[in-house]
Amino acid sequence: MTGKKHKAQNALNRLAAALVDDILCTSDADILAEFRAAGGDPDRHAAEMRTLFERSVVAANKSKMLAAKAGAARARSATTPSPVPIDIAKARQLLRVILDRPAAQASLTMAAREESELSDADILGLLEDLRVLGVLPSGDGNSGTT
Amino acid sequence: MHSGQEKAGRSRDDIAKAIRELTPAELIRLKKVAGYYAAGRPIWSTDLLQEAFTRAIDGRVCPVHVTVVKFLAEAMRSIAHGEGEKVENRLVLVSAGASSEVARQADAYPDHGLNAEQRMVSDESVVEMRKAILGLFADDDIGQIIAEGMMDGLEGEELRELCGLDATGYNSKRRLVRRRIDNAYPEGWKL
Repeated sequence: MTGKKHKAQNALNRLAAALVDDILCTSDADILAEFRAAGGDPDRHAAEMRTLFERSVVAANKSKMLAAKAGAARARSATTPSPVPIDIAKARQLLRVILDRPAAQASLTMAAREESELSDADILGLLEDLRVLGVLPSGDGNSGTT
Repeated sequence: MHSGQEKAGRSRDDIAKAIRELTPAELIRLKKVAGYYAAGRPIWSTDLLQEAFTRAIDGRVCPVHVTVVKFLAEAMRSIAHGEGEKVENRLVLVSAGASSEVARQADAYPDHGLNAEQRMVSDESVVEMRKAILGLFADDDIGQIIAEGMMDGLEGEELRELCGLDATGYNSKRRLVRRRIDNAYPEGWKL
């Protein structure tokens, strides 16, 4: 900004501030009289201003809701463990170890015992079921140990 | 009032309630304040007012001893100032072929004119607006002194003495100055 423009801009800013001071000190009666003299309807204007305020409230609430949603999404992504790559060979090995236990032989169905005929998805499903049943220690889905 | 209470801020609900209860005269004041602060700045008065409302109910602290009208007026001043600063700090890229003047400046690069002068608001428009406002009082010497004094940041008492008016006469004259500017620029002056 050049000096000349800067000076003029500051002058206009100071004028605006002085006019604001004056309007804040002007009596209600004078304010209303001036407004009517300029063709305005104070009640109608008040209704418009209140509508503007209510729109601001809605906008602020929406903004808060979006912020809250974003915060919740961030919290969810922070607590949800990222998927760990599964070594299906180790998973099959782990299942085989469990299935070879005598107790398992007695309690599992023939179909469940035939690990080699199960799909990868079935293997993972079975391991998850065993984990839920407490047969498999928590977090030991891929280590090959029980 | 206890100093702790003075520092305390109104709650969001208190501010919203106070705004909803503003009288028609107070709402006119707010509208006018928005017009003055938006004048010559890259923001519409309605947007300025709405932004002030939003900030008021969205966390800005309103001390209990400050009226909601003054609080909103100050919020508008702050927002408008920020908008003005944004424009001043904005880098504007200008096509060198846009005009012969721009081409001349481009040829003279590095000329600070290319980043400082090619802004949305030209120097001339600001200077001319100042002149135009003072010109509203070409037939009124006292009015011109008051308008120019306001532009120079003179305080009320100092300005009153310069005008040679008593307090009542000065207040009345100052009001006339404001009304004349209002009549000339009902939506605030635009650059």
